[in-house]
Amino acid sequence: MNNQRFRKLLDSILVPLLAILSGLVVMGILILILKKPLFESYAVLFSKGFGCEAYGNCIFITTLERATPIILTGLSAVVAFRSGMFSIGQEGQYLLGAAAAAWLGYAIHLPPILHPLVLIIAGMLVGAGYGWIPGILKVKLGVNELLATIMLNSIAALIIEYLVQFPMRGDRSTTAHSPVIDESAQLMSFLPGSKWGVGFVIAVIAVIVIFIYLWHTKHGYEQRMAGQSRKFALYGGIHSDNAAIRAMLISGALAGLAGAIEVMGVHRRIMTGFSVGLGFDGLTSAILGQTHPIGVFIVAILFSGLKLGAQLGLQLNLEIPRELGGTIIGFIILFVAAGKLYEESIVRVRDWFTRRRGSNLKGESR
Amino acid sequence: MEGFFSVFTVELLNSGIRLATPILLAALGGAICNQAGVLNLALESKMLLGAFVGILAAYYLGNSYGGLLVAMAAGGLLGLLFAFLYHKYRVDLVILAIAFNLIIVELTVFVMRAMFGNVGSWSDPSIVRIPDIQVPLIKDIPFLGPILSGYNIIVYFSWLVTIVMFIVLYKMRGGRHLRAVGENKSAAETVGINAILLQTLALVISGALAALGGAFLSIGHLKLFTRNMSNGRGWIAIAAAMFGVNHPVGVFLASLFFGFADAFSVRVQNVTDLPPNLVKLLPNVATLLVLIIIALRSKIALSMARRRFRSQLRAEEAANPAD
Repeated sequence: MNNQRFRKLLDSILVPLLAILSGLVVMGILILILKKPLFESYAVLFSKGFGCEAYGNCIFITTLERATPIILTGLSAVVAFRSGMFSIGQEGQYLLGAAAAAWLGYAIHLPPILHPLVLIIAGMLVGAGYGWIPGILKVKLGVNELLATIMLNSIAALIIEYLVQFPMRGDRSTTAHSPVIDESAQLMSFLPGSKWGVGFVIAVIAVIVIFIYLWHTKHGYEQRMAGQSRKFALYGGIHSDNAAIRAMLISGALAGLAGAIEVMGVHRRIMTGFSVGLGFDGLTSAILGQTHPIGVFIVAILFSGLKLGAQLGLQLNLEIPRELGGTIIGFIILFVAAGKLYEESIVRVRDWFTRRRGSNLKGESR
Repeated sequence: MEGFFSVFTVELLNSGIRLATPILLAALGGAICNQAGVLNLALESKMLLGAFVGILAAYYLGNSYGGLLVAMAAGGLLGLLFAFLYHKYRVDLVILAIAFNLIIVELTVFVMRAMFGNVGSWSDPSIVRIPDIQVPLIKDIPFLGPILSGYNIIVYFSWLVTIVMFIVLYKMRGGRHLRAVGENKSAAETVGINAILLQTLALVISGALAALGGAFLSIGHLKLFTRNMSNGRGWIAIAAAMFGVNHPVGVFLASLFFGFADAFSVRVQNVTDLPPNLVKLLPNVATLLVLIIIALRSKIALSMARRRFRSQLRAEEAANPAD
């Protein structure tokens, strides 16, 4: 029984693992084309992305800080995908959640602890509301949620641009941004000079909550069943429609939470170009993390480590353009998508192994 | 009010048409894919690839028209790769698109920086922008002349593609087959249509068109390449294809709507104090409404068909009570 469970786990991580390895091979090829030292590049990438030189001078902490919004948008994608909603609306929900938090951060004045709480709830509510729109459109009218969320993403981006340039504009500087939020609303960080703090803890709690919700509660079970087969779920007495709307509300709330935390813990305001494709980063980490909360957690840290390692290590030490990090992530997703390529060879290797073990057994019995 | 109306000038129409052109080309590509039943969300990356390859080829060939052709070839090849992975390995097209949207935006900057040093954008004085053409007879027509003439060859080509695509899709056999594949792939295959070939063709054409739209940005409109130059136009093109219900003429009008909203928002900023972003919001909200209307229409059609079927059944039961 235990063995079987282990094999199932192995099966689900084998393809992502091979994809990551293939991505690193592609990276090696690109580095060789640039005529840069190959092994030094890998060493620098990993030591800068995931390393720790001394206590208090830990780049890995920055990696964790950058991973925080990706974890949350990734979880948002997981909840949506698992209930059969192919929503890519995390970007829009993230932006609007951030805007809500940024506005309440300077517009109202509350004591510490209460203020962040209000901002987080506001961000989650706004995100959930924006997630509800494609959900209700899908359930009531049959509007394709993928296409609807694409439109909602660009609408949200334009709304943010407008808000930042006009009603929420802090001062007349060249780049438009909102006023800084109150000190009472900012999230605490664990180390001076770093922005890694309470936000990351919230993200970890969210991972655990979503894991328990999806796999150990009735509602979560309903949602997963609705995602796997609508007809089967209906036969079992599950209202897929309710499950889908609930999923979109939770998904939106998580993305909105990501935005709120990014405002409260990192930028402390919202400005033009606030999102650098974080919604899509969440989406890709959900895909590579096998749409599992713990997978997303690991992959989000891996991605932000790769990007940071490319930025601080490859670019500064070896003069390799830092875009290599993002390129590798793209290739990893490509290799995951082409998982069939690996599956064929995995089956072949496994056949070969069992045949060998079989012949060994025969040898022993003789 | 005087100030508000002074926004509407020939220059506004001209810049609207110019801004609509890359969207139109990519949107036509998206539409042909939608018609063939292969959702192409990678228009953004194909545009960006076209912009980058186009300006590079123009530089190395010393000929900007050559750059356009190379860009189209590159986009077509990427489309072919999509078709290969989709048909041979059953790779999910949406995930494939997400992967390539990420790869191309990073890889183009990576290659640019690897080749030309640590720069944010790249250009070379030897590169020639695609020249504007004054069409001989048309340019002399009063009022319409300045609106219809004076663009570069890509703009006219995009109009030509609109017409050709309309004729091919709705008046010719191959086009009808392509739409049949999109409607119901297995049914089309049953009657002997080569669905895989047609879907591959749609992906290749769409890649080439989107890449040409990208090349319009780098060597037709401006004369440089910058990071993420397409800047979401691929996604707008997807919206324009939806707004135009995947019909070439509809897509043409939808792209113009998006282009004019873009031009108008720039103008409005200079002349009045209306917020420019809200003008751009208009076509996006309209697209969402179109999506809702399409869904509503098919829902109503379904329920009507059901009612008709039921009443037919009842009529038959009344006719033969013995059954």
